[in-house]
Amino acid sequence: TELSGDQDFQLFLQRNLEFTRKIRGDVAALQRLVCDTLQLCKEDELLLVRQDLDIAQAPLEQCHRRTFQAETCFSQIRAGLRVYHGSLATIRALLPGHAGLVDTLQLDMANLSSNIQQQMEDLGLATVTYPTENQDPVPTFSSQFHHQVGGFFILANFQRFLETAYRALRHLASL
Amino acid sequence: LGGTLGCASVTVSPPIVPLGSAVTASCTVQRELCQGLEQGRVRISWMLDNKPVAGSQRQGPGGTEVSNLTLPRFNHTQARLFCCVEWNGTKQRIGMAEIRAGYPPAKPLNLSCVLNLDDYGLTCQWQQGTNSHLPTSFVLKCMGSRAQAVTGCTPRGGHSHCTVPRQLLQLYRQMEIWVSATNSLGTAESEHLHIDPMDVAKLDPPTLQSIQSIPFQTDCIALAWDLAWGTKHMELQCELRYRAPEDPAWALVSGIIGQAGTAQHCGFLFGTQYSFQMRCRRSSASALGSWSEWSPVRNYTTHEKAPT
Repeated sequence: TELSGDQDFQLFLQRNLEFTRKIRGDVAALQRLVCDTLQLCKEDELLLVRQDLDIAQAPLEQCHRRTFQAETCFSQIRAGLRVYHGSLATIRALLPGHAGLVDTLQLDMANLSSNIQQQMEDLGLATVTYPTENQDPVPTFSSQFHHQVGGFFILANFQRFLETAYRALRHLASL
Repeated sequence: LGGTLGCASVTVSPPIVPLGSAVTASCTVQRELCQGLEQGRVRISWMLDNKPVAGSQRQGPGGTEVSNLTLPRFNHTQARLFCCVEWNGTKQRIGMAEIRAGYPPAKPLNLSCVLNLDDYGLTCQWQQGTNSHLPTSFVLKCMGSRAQAVTGCTPRGGHSHCTVPRQLLQLYRQMEIWVSATNSLGTAESEHLHIDPMDVAKLDPPTLQSIQSIPFQTDCIALAWDLAWGTKHMELQCELRYRAPEDPAWALVSGIIGQAGTAQHCGFLFGTQYSFQMRCRRSSASALGSWSEWSPVRNYTTHEKAPT
């Protein structure tokens, strides 16, 4: 599909680049909270514990420059947003006093995903319609500490995921 | 609608009519239910508020007396129609029905919306248009661009504004927003806005943090500012305005990149106090995008020119 130069597509990209920056800002705010309240701030201090944890990571290889494929990349971004949308339940449990921020983040993620879905449909690309309710099981942890470290890595992985998604959108905007 | 006082039943159809149109009413009197009413013929009459109006009487089923009334051109916006009978030489009001008249709702006008960046609620306001004289309900409706479910909000207490909560909005995508006005005589809709809620985000102004003469001994100054909370992820376009106390008008510097956080400008007089203000808007906002207010004034006096 010839994407570059399409005005609506460019508007979609500009809007959702800003939206992605907003979401990244909210994830960073949650990371700061985890750091401030749970003293979990540096990834390299938690590499050992991470091996005991089964933290979901969303694949985005079709969004990387070498293997970039717009349609699949969009689908992977949506799939990943859904995985992390479910994982935020872990964060809400860790930071009950900040449920509002988690709710806003989940709302924004759902909006971003449906913005991408609509744009894919506008471009005639195949899309997946996810059920409204996320049936993915919420991960369980063997200890409170593992729960906290799990939350730390969910946010760290999500931030990296967003960074890759952002670069992919920016790449498309530059075409 | 009907009013009964036991022995009389008054019906008006329709109870709400376009102003100036005909209204028909009937009053059915069931003598046995009218305590104190003597034997003999029941003579039914009508009062429209306090003015007598003539009806036509006949016998109805089951020994009832029925009077029908037609008001050919009902010109009141609201009135009470009383059914009366003669009793002891006096006119007794034994039944009542209220009649209302007016117009279909006028088209709501001047719909505009602002997105509050604190809670991402979308507050819309409008003008109700000419008075319909009838109870009229207003609902703000909004719909994602894929004809999904229509959501929105309902103003409280007769206000002409309400706020759509974040959960019902679709950010960074076109939404269709309009006002629907409904009364007994019909429905009217405002113009439909097609906007991305972010395009009507109301930004708080930036804060001018510092102003200095840089490079020293030149007519240039360097400014530094902080952007408003909640805008750090946005690409902002800002404007600076400044003037000396005696200047009649502000000088304007536009095209400043908000994220830069600093800017330089030259051409200032030496040893002069200037007032500075700044405002910003989203670069990608459409024509609907509004500027923030001007920041609080910050004064700065440029340094004296060194003697040559």
